[in-house]
Amino acid sequence: MKILTTVKKVVDVELNIHVENGAIMEKGLQYVINAWDENAVEAAVQLKEAHKAETTLVSLGSGDNTDIIRKCYAMGIDNAIHIDDPALAKADSQIFARVLQRVYEAGDYDLVITGKQAQDTDAGQAGIMLGEFLGIPCVSNVIEIKVTDDTHIQVSRLGDAGTEIVDLTLPAVVTVSDSINEPRLPAMRGIMMAKKKKITVMDLAGLGTSFEEVGGTARKSEIVEFMAQEKRKGGRKFEGDPAEITAKVVQLLVNEAKVL
Amino acid sequence: MDLNPCMKHQLIRKTVREFAENEIRPRAAEMDKGPGFPDDLMEKMKPLHYFGLQVPGHLGGADLDTVSYAIVVEEISRVSAALGLCITVHNSVGIYPILRFGTREQKQQFVPPMAAGESIGAFCLTEANAGSDAGGVETVARETAHGFVINGTKIFVTNGGICGTILVFAVSDSDPGKPGVFIVENHTPGFSVGEIEDLCGMRANPVASLFFEDCAIPADHCLGIPGQGLKIGLTALDTGRIGIAAQALGIAQAAFEESVSYAQARQQFNKPISRFQTIQNYLADMAVQIDAARLLLYRAADVKDTGRPFSAEAAMAKLHCSTTARMVTDLAVQIHGGYGYSREYDVERYFRDAKVTEIYEGTSEIQRMVIARHILTRPT
Repeated sequence: MKILTTVKKVVDVELNIHVENGAIMEKGLQYVINAWDENAVEAAVQLKEAHKAETTLVSLGSGDNTDIIRKCYAMGIDNAIHIDDPALAKADSQIFARVLQRVYEAGDYDLVITGKQAQDTDAGQAGIMLGEFLGIPCVSNVIEIKVTDDTHIQVSRLGDAGTEIVDLTLPAVVTVSDSINEPRLPAMRGIMMAKKKKITVMDLAGLGTSFEEVGGTARKSEIVEFMAQEKRKGGRKFEGDPAEITAKVVQLLVNEAKVL
Repeated sequence: MDLNPCMKHQLIRKTVREFAENEIRPRAAEMDKGPGFPDDLMEKMKPLHYFGLQVPGHLGGADLDTVSYAIVVEEISRVSAALGLCITVHNSVGIYPILRFGTREQKQQFVPPMAAGESIGAFCLTEANAGSDAGGVETVARETAHGFVINGTKIFVTNGGICGTILVFAVSDSDPGKPGVFIVENHTPGFSVGEIEDLCGMRANPVASLFFEDCAIPADHCLGIPGQGLKIGLTALDTGRIGIAAQALGIAQAAFEESVSYAQARQQFNKPISRFQTIQNYLADMAVQIDAARLLLYRAADVKDTGRPFSAEAAMAKLHCSTTARMVTDLAVQIHGGYGYSREYDVERYFRDAKVTEIYEGTSEIQRMVIARHILTRPT
């Protein structure tokens, strides 16, 4: 079985993000692997270990993605492709799905595993669109993948009211929930070996396509402004005698916060 | 000259820190009540190769470079110095001498179980009348028709209570001037573990006395050639010093981080104490010492990796890192005031843990001897 898994490099949202003129400022940003994609990588590596699957990772975007790809190598991924093209800086989910379609078609994959969404945009579209473009089944929010035989898998999909068990004929796309597994910490030997592995880097032309061909020039959605969430104000801490503090807090809740 | 950590070193630090924060941190204070480490924690460390950090892949290890190794020890020690001690002693003075001086058969026999964490390593040199002066060792290895019989008592053995493969520094009965290093396994008849030491710091580590009473071992359990003990011992200690330096640095880093956040949170005279110049001076001094310690440590590790002699560099790193650990943890307690003297706060543990880094694997006085010897004998 050949598995394709996708990894997106996203801004670490736990750190401060500076916004100026409706755009995120690059300075001081740190990047991490999209958390759901890490679940996808772990799911692929587990299938590799249990069923001798061959795992290939694809990462899209412009710039250096070496650090996140090396981490995935250290986790156990076999091959990695980075589609590095400056044009992708302005891509939306549909364009990304079109590029993934080209990557899929260039290989001979049985299963695509993606995170169910990216933690920066929370869009959750690329994997589902990929299934649509390829004309193959897609199940989202998957919490378990079982291999039935060479051409079938059974997945569990978490819904509001319960869990659906779905039989899928391969090839197929699944987008995984963070409940599917606990991504492993890379072992030391994995990190050492990751350093030696080759990353195939190509632009859209190298993939045999162009920004125009993947719909880039006829983009149907565009982010025109980014507004950062307002920061929560820090709380106030009171120290001292409990009885005095209680009286003071009640007084503040009545007179200052006016909630009592 | 590139002093920035490479991507591999960044990934190693991030990975070990994540493990240490999630798995070790919640139990570090409890472990300090010691002795011993939780079995499940040790089990989790095995598949991550923490017990075979620099062991070649074909013997089951991770084959790390020495800078990576130092980072692992530093990060574990940043959270639990006692566990960092277990890891560094096992990997350096426990395994390294076998890799460096062992025969192919000895490596095949002893290293894989150690690298897998199934057999914990210990190195015993110190005795009641021998420590800095290795020439005072009284443990004897008597050569017999079948091998050697070891008799003696070793004290303050790190990992003593949990060790499986023990390197014993002993003199020959026929020529006390020619010590050797012998591999003894913990199931050897005549071997026993004494009471766990009641120490000031590193309390999770089961430091103990080890007794060897007519411990018969086969001839092929002698490491290197008989009489080569001093060379093996000194080489082991050179590499061990890099590990202890990393451990001391980890303690200092932890105490520094706690101090910065406490100084910003603690209010006195209606402002955070970090606004007072005295506290700022303390923090600045701590930061400078730690940075210098880290550079000396990575330099020593890098020299070792290039295959050049690293004895003086390791001694300098060990001396400065351990002095820094003592100084920084002392200031950390001072910044924390009464709270720093309480077991409720981690800096109290760091303060107790730091001191011994100036004592074991060569005291600071011995490090100065090593450095001075290097200065005075180096061609100018």
